Amino acid sequence: MVSTEQVPVTVLTGFLGAGKTTLLNRILTEQHGHRYAVIVNEFGEEGIDNDLVVDADEEVFEMNNGCICCTVRGDLIRILSGLMKRADQLDAIIVETTGLADPAPVAQTFFVDDDVASRTKLDAIVTVADAVHLDAQLGEHHEAEEQIAFADVVLLNKTDLVDAAGLDAVETRIRKINPYSKIIRTTRCEAELNAVLGLDAFNLDRIMEFEPDFLESDHAHDHDDDITSISFVSEIPLDIEKFQKWFGKLLQTRGQDILRSKGILNFSNTTDRYVFQGVHMLMDASTMGAWPEGQPRNSRVVFIGRNLDSMGLKEGFESCKAE
Amino acid sequence: MGQPPTKPPPGYRKTSLEERALKFDSGAPVTGAVAIGDAIASTFGDGTVRFFDPSEDAPAEVHAHNGVILCCAADRKHLLTGGDDGQFLRIAPDGTVDELANFGSKWVDCVAASNGLAACSSGRVAYIWTSGRSEATELEHSSTVGGLAFDAKGSRLAVAHYGGVTVWEQKKHRWKKSKLFWQGSHGAITFSPDGKFIVTAMQENALHGWRLRGKIDLAMTGYPSKAKSFAWAGKTPYLATSGGYEAICWPFDGPQGPMERPPLCVAQHGDNLATCVEAFPLLNAVFVGFQDGAVLVSELEDSKDVMALRGPTGIEVTAIAINQPQSHLLVGDAKGHLLWAPLKK
Repeated sequence: MVSTEQVPVTVLTGFLGAGKTTLLNRILTEQHGHRYAVIVNEFGEEGIDNDLVVDADEEVFEMNNGCICCTVRGDLIRILSGLMKRADQLDAIIVETTGLADPAPVAQTFFVDDDVASRTKLDAIVTVADAVHLDAQLGEHHEAEEQIAFADVVLLNKTDLVDAAGLDAVETRIRKINPYSKIIRTTRCEAELNAVLGLDAFNLDRIMEFEPDFLESDHAHDHDDDITSISFVSEIPLDIEKFQKWFGKLLQTRGQDILRSKGILNFSNTTDRYVFQGVHMLMDASTMGAWPEGQPRNSRVVFIGRNLDSMGLKEGFESCKAE
Repeated sequence: MGQPPTKPPPGYRKTSLEERALKFDSGAPVTGAVAIGDAIASTFGDGTVRFFDPSEDAPAEVHAHNGVILCCAADRKHLLTGGDDGQFLRIAPDGTVDELANFGSKWVDCVAASNGLAACSSGRVAYIWTSGRSEATELEHSSTVGGLAFDAKGSRLAVAHYGGVTVWEQKKHRWKKSKLFWQGSHGAITFSPDGKFIVTAMQENALHGWRLRGKIDLAMTGYPSKAKSFAWAGKTPYLATSGGYEAICWPFDGPQGPMERPPLCVAQHGDNLATCVEAFPLLNAVFVGFQDGAVLVSELEDSKDVMALRGPTGIEVTAIAINQPQSHLLVGDAKGHLLWAPLKK
């Protein structure tokens, strides 16, 4: 087979009025020399007129594959397949979701659908958040929490309308849900496009770069936020069989509550690093070559989700340590 | 137009069909091909339509759409096309283009024709034009239309969408609907030649069928990839399908169809997935195109002889069509290469 280059797809989420359309208009109108197609939802905030804009219906359907939380975006499979028939190659595709959408089905589409995965790749999930209203939205809508929890990048927008203390407070709230996303403060979504597009955040190679704040691992969190995160580190090598048994069962039984998971693992019987990342029950994993000289050889995992306290994650992870 | 850039593997000898074939490189993915009488019309990702006629030296080119041609169907002596530019067009081999509808920024995802009826879909709505009338009948569905098919008489239109199929039947100039349910997303759709069965290709590695009498489900599963292409072939008839490592052909003779019967599997080509199938009625055979560019032809009935028509090129076959006199074959691929050849020396 002749390998075909995969077109990166950025998922753009955020509540109504947060500024997604402002960002999309910038992406389409700025002179950047790239060809971007934008897939917008039917009920967008305002019209965007461009021949590279495609209307989508956000039609989520359940796969008949026995995976109970495996929902995918059927319309996206159809539209991406149509875009791949173009004579000219696109540099990137941006998928806008409606304000109240759960980002999981979009992300899962890239794990589950072979056609989508062979021609396109999930680049990153970018969430535009309204600095003025995010705090209230997080309390009222679980979708707002999910959008923050899934984000690789949070564009904290309309920062000119909030004072410094207010901004710090909302950033702290974001960090509590998702300590691993990159937060960019903007007033009218004027972030550099290369801070939003072409991040390759779902590439297993890039997981090597994630450096969660381990000093705060095991941190106590407020229970007003439904979604939380937790991370662990082990200096003692792990046993691959024990880990796979524990982690496989964990995703199978609690995958609905685990929104995202990532890790770099040091197994006792190999010199290679092992990396993984998951969205709910679906997981991508691979060995990633030898550990670099001079870097600590330890195992690091992170979970973002609901009811993490009840999963015995710490005990489970500890029990994977090699004798 | 030049020669395809890919080289055949070392030691490879051209098939006799390749020896006499005309080869073109169009530069845009081939998105479809369909017989229009003696000719074959092919559609492309840059909006072009090309008509290949056995009596002409070169194909006639028509610049029809401003974007990808997503779907096509033969409407007697014309071609119907739908594009991502929102246009639904009727194109004559002489290059005359009629716009039947324009949906602006909405894609025209599916088209179908039968007995003077023309249909297309955009979003959740299917539109039917009856010959001699300019106004279309609008048929709305609960989700985006994934496939359209008329039965042979043109009295019924089957519409695939999420969760199943809606069958519209024309009675006293009105279209009345009935529904067939099966969870999941349904795409390309077809009536069996006798009109008793409906089959859809799903957005999963499976087809789903219904026997209309009694609305009995037929699950056709076990594919290693999606079965996106199918064709009714042989006298039985079989529904030949892509998506496997050979053509998977389901028997539809008898009142039960393929129920509790194994499919006939022909034209294996190593571990390459079949991506495109087309019937060859003259020999009760099926043409099978593969992801590596190879095209085989296999008989379906008494003997199962297989012959290579085109060797591997490394590029997925996306379209195969035979003209109505069954004298010429057209093969197209994902990078825009075409092979046009007489079947007999």
